[in-house]
Amino acid sequence: MLVRCYRGKLSVWAALCVLVLCWFYIFPGYRLPRDKEIVEEVLRHGEAWQKNQSGIDLYRKLLTECCDPRRMFAVTKENSPIGKVLWYDGEFYHSHTVNNETYPLFVQDNPLQLPLKKCAVVGNGGILRHSKCGRDIDQADFIMRCNLPPLSKEYVEDVGTRSHLVTANPSIIEKRFQNLLWSRKAFVDSMKVYGSSYIYMPAFSMKPGTDPSLRAYYALADTSSNLTMLFANPEFLRTVGKFWKARGVHARRLSTGLFLVSLALGLCEEVTAYGFWPFSVGLDEQPVSHHYYDNILPYKWFHAMPEEFVQLWHLHKSGTLRMRVGHCPGQEGGR
Amino acid sequence: MLRRRMGYTDPSSGKDILGNRSLCFIFICAFGLVTLLQQILYGKNYIKSAQQFSRLKGDETGNWTGPVNFSDDGSLKPARNGRKRYLENYDGSYEYNSTACRELRQEIMDVKVLTMVKTSELFERWRNLQVCRWEQSKEETSNFKMSLSRCCNAPAFLFTTKRNTPAGTKLRYEVDTSGILPITTEVFKMFPDDMPYSKSQYKKCAVIGNGGIIKNSKCGKEIDSADFVFRCNIPPINEKYSTDVGTKTDLVTINPSIITERFQKLEKWRRPFYEVLQNYENSSVVLPAFYNTRNTDVSFRVKYMLDDFDSQRGVFFFHPQYLLNVQRFWAVQGVRAKRLSSGLMLVTAALEMCEEVHLYGFWAFPMNPSGIFITHHYYDNVKPRPGFHAMPHEIFNFIHMHTRGIINVHTGPCT
Repeated sequence: MLVRCYRGKLSVWAALCVLVLCWFYIFPGYRLPRDKEIVEEVLRHGEAWQKNQSGIDLYRKLLTECCDPRRMFAVTKENSPIGKVLWYDGEFYHSHTVNNETYPLFVQDNPLQLPLKKCAVVGNGGILRHSKCGRDIDQADFIMRCNLPPLSKEYVEDVGTRSHLVTANPSIIEKRFQNLLWSRKAFVDSMKVYGSSYIYMPAFSMKPGTDPSLRAYYALADTSSNLTMLFANPEFLRTVGKFWKARGVHARRLSTGLFLVSLALGLCEEVTAYGFWPFSVGLDEQPVSHHYYDNILPYKWFHAMPEEFVQLWHLHKSGTLRMRVGHCPGQEGGR
Repeated sequence: MLRRRMGYTDPSSGKDILGNRSLCFIFICAFGLVTLLQQILYGKNYIKSAQQFSRLKGDETGNWTGPVNFSDDGSLKPARNGRKRYLENYDGSYEYNSTACRELRQEIMDVKVLTMVKTSELFERWRNLQVCRWEQSKEETSNFKMSLSRCCNAPAFLFTTKRNTPAGTKLRYEVDTSGILPITTEVFKMFPDDMPYSKSQYKKCAVIGNGGIIKNSKCGKEIDSADFVFRCNIPPINEKYSTDVGTKTDLVTINPSIITERFQKLEKWRRPFYEVLQNYENSSVVLPAFYNTRNTDVSFRVKYMLDDFDSQRGVFFFHPQYLLNVQRFWAVQGVRAKRLSSGLMLVTAALEMCEEVHLYGFWAFPMNPSGIFITHHYYDNVKPRPGFHAMPHEIFNFIHMHTRGIINVHTGPCT
């Protein structure tokens, strides 16, 4: 009896230990430089930027080795034949086997015209507001946007109008469109803004995200929309996550923006990132909203935006990609 | 040592009489016993009910292999047989009020309950009646309509409308007695302003059942000439069947179970279902949305879907109270079932909406009146769950109503 009791306690202790270890793994003791320091660093660096072809090539090589974005970034008929098991990257132990029902929804092969020349990755940071970057963004050959951002008139000056690849989080579909279970017109209409771009959805990342994503596909297909649905390949997402984890981004999950930047680094010759600014204060010490369209903060521990920003800033300094922070130089020479 | 062990084990074994293990054992035994008992009881019942069912529906199959087997009929047989031959020789339609017809009608009315006579007997009387021209009996019809409007009042309560179900009402489901649906503004918006039909609005209505009897009947033209055509459960009306069932449709019911099974509750693709509905040109769609809680979401989704596709098609939901009233009404008339078929619902509604109601394709027996086997539906042969609908009783009821001159049941080929 006593022994059993003791054992029971032992297991409790063991569990606690494991929990503590996990805690330290997820939230390690060391921390980033403070937000303020980062801002100062950015300010010190200034606008100067020099393209560094070797850095670009290096990163493209690294990403191709680890993740192979050319082939793997979306679920295609090529890389996921019927019977292929897709392991969810955001779940602990959950998978989806490609079957007769899901297989026809995939595109045949990588639909992008490779190689892409000038890419623009547009984050949704509040820093974009009043930045007048719209024209700059629209000049890129391939424009990627995150999470179905609004492109209405009031923002056109700052974020541009064109888009080629737009990611959509299943949670948005759940929140804004009632999971597409009822009326789908609102969804279909709101997607018309994106013209004929690709909608990139992480359908196989989270368990509850699969059905809404597939439903989004059905909704678009039923109305014969000219948008093309691409489902993010969980394998690609996982390898990209690992890639960044090795470079010091500790989060449960990378933000969509970083996924897109990795994708762009792997596919494009020149990458410019706009609107990546996870801090509440701008360069001019003015408060900045979280998104350029609203100020709804994300779930606290989910993303590690400042860490991501530091990584991107390193890339910027080394000339691999260009970060646009603050105002874009106007065509008329005003800055 | 042994003593000590005994001394140790004794209390514990005494405790174990109601200890975990023995309790577990007792439970398992009890469970097994109960299961066995259930098996025996229900098994027997099942066999019994199956026998009853076959007696009711198709026991005569053996007798009906041909007209040779008439020899074991009752004492009535020679006279009737004689008349039958006489009638066949006559080769034409009798007037409604002729004595012969009156007698024939009386013969059918004599059959008070379905189980009173063999089905073959009933069929024969029904066949004999076919030589008489049908005529609407004004008195019977108006009486019947009167009692219907007293109980059910279809022109006001057939569907849920903004008028009879104001926002904020707590709508009671038809079978889920505990289920209550509060009518929120969201739901309220889906209702039509008022009933689209009024009392006796149409002259001649046709209600099309999906029975196999309609196959090869060539009734399509006659059906299409009706002023208002009801259909049940989105039946196929493509070229393959249109000569038999026609194409005109003004109101078609959809069972949510069809949407659940064939269209994945409309949670996935929606266009295929929309295309199916496009076959029924301008017909309105009726759904028993408030039958039970499972039906509601699917039915609402149909409305949303049609709105999304900018369709002008009307979508209506049966009022659960109306269905309950109809069920009660027919229970008094002797049709007792877990649920009435949607055909009977439509006939009930049609009786109030139309002056003259014609029924096609209503026949729930495994063979047609002349004893030839027919399929269950005109498009397939999928039998429903046994014991859910009381189809033969319903049909028997229709036969009676035909005899009384209230409705016209067509079972033969049209000319």
